[in-house]
Formats: sequence, C-alpha cells, structure tokens
Amino acid sequence: MKSLSRLPRQAIAAKIFHWVNIVSLFIMLTSGLQIYNANPVFGGRAGWHIPPIFTLGGWLAGGRHWHFAAMWLFSLNLVFYGVYILVTRRWKHRFVSDKDIKALKLSQNQKRRAYAWHRIAYTAIVPILLLAIFSGLGMYKPAQFSWIVDCFGDWQALRIVHFTTVPIVIIFATIHALLGRKVGGDRLLESMFW
Amino acid sequence: MNQIQIPQQKLLRRHFLKLSGLSSVSLLLGGCGTPLFEDIVGKVSEPLNQKVETLIFNPEKLAPEFPISEIEPEALIVNSFNFTPKIDSTKFRLVVDGTVNKFLSLSMTEIQQMPLASMVIRHVCVEGWAAIVQWGGVRLRDIINLAQPKPEAKYVYFKSADGYYESWDLASCMHPQTLMAYQKNGQPLPIDNGAPLRLASPIKLGYKQSKWVTNIILSDRLLPVKGYWEDQGYEWYAGL
Repeated sequence: MKSLSRLPRQAIAAKIFHWVNIVSLFIMLTSGLQIYNANPVFGGRAGWHIPPIFTLGGWLAGGRHWHFAAMWLFSLNLVFYGVYILVTRRWKHRFVSDKDIKALKLSQNQKRRAYAWHRIAYTAIVPILLLAIFSGLGMYKPAQFSWIVDCFGDWQALRIVHFTTVPIVIIFATIHALLGRKVGGDRLLESMFW
Repeated sequence: MNQIQIPQQKLLRRHFLKLSGLSSVSLLLGGCGTPLFEDIVGKVSEPLNQKVETLIFNPEKLAPEFPISEIEPEALIVNSFNFTPKIDSTKFRLVVDGTVNKFLSLSMTEIQQMPLASMVIRHVCVEGWAAIVQWGGVRLRDIINLAQPKPEAKYVYFKSADGYYESWDLASCMHPQTLMAYQKNGQPLPIDNGAPLRLASPIKLGYKQSKWVTNIILSDRLLPVKGYWEDQGYEWYAGL
C-alpha cells in the first residue's frame, strides 16, 4: 500500500476515458429521460413522468438527437478504452482479481478491504455500460438486430432493462466515487480527471 | 411537386420551438430541461447516423413475424396529427405518378385484386412503445413495379387525405414487408387506422407509416419538404 501514500498519477488515457465517459453518460442519461417521457416505460402516457430539470433536448425529437449523437461518443470511448486496457494489459492488474476476493475473505486490513471493494465496484460498471449499449441497440434497430430483442424476451422487457441501466449506472458511479475517496482520498479522485 | 401541401401550423410550431429555445438561454447555464441546441446537434449527427442506418439496412432481411396469438390489439395506439378524414372507398383512387413511365389511378377493387400479403409484425413508435399487429394488403413494390419507375427514381412521397405527407427512400419501399395495407388484425382496416389504405412496415418508425394515403409520387430527389414530423425536426430515415 506504499503507492497510495505517494501522489497518485494516472495514465493520460485513463483521464481521457473518465472525462469522455462522464460527459457522454450525462448526455445519454438526460436525453434518455427526455425520450422516456414520451411514453413512460411503466404505465405508458398515464405513467409517472421525469421532471424536466433532469431531461435534455426539450422535446422527443430533441432528446433523440442528443441521444443518438452522444451514443457515438459514449460507445466509441468504451471501445477505445477496451482496446487500451487490452494492449497495455491493464485488465490484468487494474481490475478485480481473485486476490481481491482473497483479501476480503482473509485480510483484517481495512484499507486493503476497501481497495478490494472498490475494484469490484468499478469492474462491475463495465458490463452495465455494455448492457446499456446492447439493449439500446436492440431498441434503436429492432428489425436489423431482432436477435437482440429476442435475448430479452419481448419489447417491454427490453425497455425495462434499458431503462434500469440508468439507476444502476448512477448507483455504481456513486459507489465508485465514494470508495475511491475512501481508498485514496480526494487526491486519487482528482488524479482521475486532472 | 406542388401537389404536396405544407400545413400552416407546421411553421407556427417550428417558430414556437425556436422562440422557446431562445427564451430559455438563461436555463442553458442553469441545467437541463432545455432543448440545448438540439436542432444543431441533430443537423450535425444525422448525416452520420443516416449513413450507418442505410449501411446496416438489408433490403432482403425480413423483420421477425409472430403467431396470430401474439397480436396485441390494445397496444396499438392511434396517433393522428390533425383529423380523421372519412373516405368513400367506392370512389377512392390511389394515384401513382412522378418519375414513372406509367401513371396509375387504382380503385380499391383493383388494389384488392392484386396479390394479398399478410404479416404479423412489431409496430414500433418513436415514442418508445410497440405493438404486435397484423397488417394485410398489397406489397408497395408491386404497385411501384406496376407504375414502372424510371431509373432516376430514388425517393417516394406519400400524400394523405388529412394533409399528412411523408417521404421514403425507394429501397425501403421495395422491401417485401412494406405494404399498402387495407386489413388490420384480420378485419377490414378501421378508419382510425387509415382506411381505406395506409402504409405499414416493420422496418420504419410509426410516423413514417402514413394513413389515408391517396397519392404516391416517385421522385429523383429529396425536397426540402420531407414529411410532416421531419419538417419539425424528427429524423427522416427513421429505419428500424
């Protein structure tokens, strides 16, 4: 744990990824909620609508413009980062491994345990982001990618899954930030962006 | 293409949206709930999105069809932009012209004598809901082939009795599941759903599927006037 007492430094690619991810995700969530309001997933037109303060685009077409513009930023960022962690082999030592599970089982060191939890949290975000893209692609092009709709059963199930990625992403991003702060303080948090 | 009317309220609404966009400049800095340059974002991203949509569109690939038992009669919401025109189907004529070699004026009897195509498909609305519905009618490509399109024909305009208008790419019109439908869920098409004749297809969003179609016009180009919703800012291609 010596490295944590030094000033944390991050690779420039990790900083770019975090910036683009947080900005594009923000646009995806807010424009997505604008689209949601055209016909709420639960209850249809009579269902509960998202207050306008959380939405982006002003109307359905505007929400769709923002959503389908930001989807490129969001998904390509994820693709580039995926290639980056594969090429640099970061995926081997920067994401959760059996060592973290072992630490959670055996270690009494609170810092080591928090570190393990943190790695579990941010590793778990990756499949959620991928699920958001996958289910979104199924809704965007259900005729060309009908097999994606079939993966979820029916249309309503697909809508629910895509919508559910919103609260899950928010919860996991919050946990990620809180645990990151617990592990490395504000300096670690800031090092990921600046 | 002077047959296509431009409804007056379209301009008013667009104008209103522009004004509301301007008046919310203070909101732009404060947070969301605003259009926030959505029209610029749309203009910048649409050409790219449309290129990709055209690229992934497979003119031979059939959208999934469902058993009759899976039809959701209640799920299909009736969306109309203005009013419901009453059309006497005995006097009705479908006129096909534009860049065609043969001008057509077809009665419902003539249309119903053409081969019937029936499909149970998922109708997807831009609003997010979907409904499994059966449409029966004549393949649009059969009508277009009957009119013998000229080689330069690339786009197809649809004019409706209620003033609604739409335009499609020719390739999507020639898709085997794009119908001029006169049947819904095994029954004659109800007036609310576009009787006597409407566009129906699983490969385009609902707003592309004009009801009460009276006029099909082939064109070599896409005019600045593209469709009722498109002219207010919705995307034109809207492929599924």
